[in-house]
Amino acid sequence: MPWPIYLALKQLFPSGRRLPFFTLISVLGVGLGVALMLVSTSVMGGFGHQVKTMIIDTQGEVQIRGRTALKATEALEKIIASVREVAAFGPYAQGVVMLEFEHRPAFPGVQGFDIARIKQVIPLEHYITEGSLDDLDDDSVILSSQLAYGLGAHVGDKVSVYSPLMLERMKANEVLLPREVRVAGIFRIGHQQLDSSTVICSLRLMQDLYGMDRLVHGYNVRLKPGADPDHAAAALNAVLPAGAGALTWFEANADFQAVLSFERNMIFFLLTFIIVVAAFSITSSLLVTVVRKTREVGLLGAMGGRARDVAACFCVQGLFIGLAGTAVGLVLGFALLHYRNALVALIAKFTMGQETFVKFYQFSSLPAHTETKDVVMIIVFSVIASTLAGLIPAWRAAKLKPVEALRSE
Amino acid sequence: MSDVVLKAIALSKTYPSGDKTLGVLAGVDFAVAAGESVSIRGESGSGKSTLLNLLAGLDRPDAGELFWGGEAAHKLSLGELTARRGRFLGMVFQAYYLIPEIDALANVLMGARMVGGVGPVECDRSAALLKRVGLAERGHHLPAQLSGGERQRVAVARALMNRPKVILADEPTGNLDERTGDEVIALLLEVCAEQQTALVLVTHNVAHAKKTNRQLDLKNGQLGHG
Repeated sequence: MPWPIYLALKQLFPSGRRLPFFTLISVLGVGLGVALMLVSTSVMGGFGHQVKTMIIDTQGEVQIRGRTALKATEALEKIIASVREVAAFGPYAQGVVMLEFEHRPAFPGVQGFDIARIKQVIPLEHYITEGSLDDLDDDSVILSSQLAYGLGAHVGDKVSVYSPLMLERMKANEVLLPREVRVAGIFRIGHQQLDSSTVICSLRLMQDLYGMDRLVHGYNVRLKPGADPDHAAAALNAVLPAGAGALTWFEANADFQAVLSFERNMIFFLLTFIIVVAAFSITSSLLVTVVRKTREVGLLGAMGGRARDVAACFCVQGLFIGLAGTAVGLVLGFALLHYRNALVALIAKFTMGQETFVKFYQFSSLPAHTETKDVVMIIVFSVIASTLAGLIPAWRAAKLKPVEALRSE
Repeated sequence: MSDVVLKAIALSKTYPSGDKTLGVLAGVDFAVAAGESVSIRGESGSGKSTLLNLLAGLDRPDAGELFWGGEAAHKLSLGELTARRGRFLGMVFQAYYLIPEIDALANVLMGARMVGGVGPVECDRSAALLKRVGLAERGHHLPAQLSGGERQRVAVARALMNRPKVILADEPTGNLDERTGDEVIALLLEVCAEQQTALVLVTHNVAHAKKTNRQLDLKNGQLGHG
């Protein structure tokens, strides 16, 4: 082993002696930074992953949309089915309606699905909290949880639906009669926007409300397991007729994804400063070491140690602190992630109470999803920052002249 | 003088002192042969350590020539001198300068580690040297666990590790009591003689100086016989 590495290791982890305080603090500093970065990126990744699951569970991995409403013909569906990656698909139509229950109005978005086919594409039944998807027919709707709560409607109640088509008829002096529909169920997805103001109904009811005849706004497509959404969307776009196009779940929600990605990157960027601060503390501690060991540095020169090797000895100390700190940080970070829900419960218990916590933050368990590339980025960043932290002390040590260093008091 | 291992001709050194220059060495001639021991005495500030630093190539003379073996060391850069120093000479200091984080054996081996590497031969030699200086049982003790005399013995063993041609010892007994100092000097002289290593001993102690083959005095920047 080259002597600068040997000496660096011995100075950080001396044999037969307790771990020096400087080493302990420096390693812990880097470790805490790494742990914090790992936990925060994993939790942000968890939210992103949860949102992705929610989007795919409500829209499918790919959505086919028409520039105008599409005619749901057998020929079009044959074209969609011809793409190898497609496992199942179902038409949808969407819009906005006015809902009224006991003189309480609401203006939710409405999604109409082909009930017979929807289960193969979207696992809606997983999100039904009251009632049943099987009870949904052309004279009933399923309300999102907060919408039902706001209206005071329960399963079995009848709500009135007013569509934009009715307004058109009203202009023509026709009598305005709302459509009375039964509440067949209540769902909760876990996404504030969807849970607050969404109605699910049959495709036929939606087509009736909007006077769309057999037209649809598009298709939700479920892909075969392992199929790449980008590849599938490209394959669909290659065969779809003009006026229709396929978008991946990511493209269909590009703005939302961009916000999520921005938040995640900002948090990552801000947390890098923790490691930068830790690196500065390494620089400061190593500088003190260089001053404390001035005569030792002189001795190394007197024994034939070249200035660059003396410098390497201090630089390598930064590297080893980075490696040890990163290892400690990864262990700590993964342990925190493992026990995150217990920790969140504990924090909630001592602050606002768990029920309030769930009510305001919409989750009872903290999601986490760790991406390998994030872990690699954290490791590379912390090791490089720690190694660079050793450069200034190393430069200072290399500048010391042995004859002056040996003479120093 | 074919066995001369270290030779200096007309070495001069001055230091700036305010607006003036302070002459420390004024044309010092010096030579030491293999296996020979030479002591240099002088008052504090007479330039003994400066001379030793120039002989060790740690500092540059203002004028003069220096030969390490047959090589004109004064023509080498400080970097080249550093590269050759580890093999050509060993140094023993008043304050021992052992590395506190490693044990006695590792301190002795450090010399070998810095000029090449450590293999079984070097490990055997370091153990033999420690045994020779009477510390066979203390090899795995850290410097902090050793007495002053023991630390200086480790420093002597370390200086001898790479079979240097010359040992430069700068007041090696300055931090030791009289008896321990005598023991260290006796040891230094013995092992240098055994290994045919030249010894240049800078000391204030007349008795120690007298034990060397030649005694020199540094006065007014010049070396004379003591």
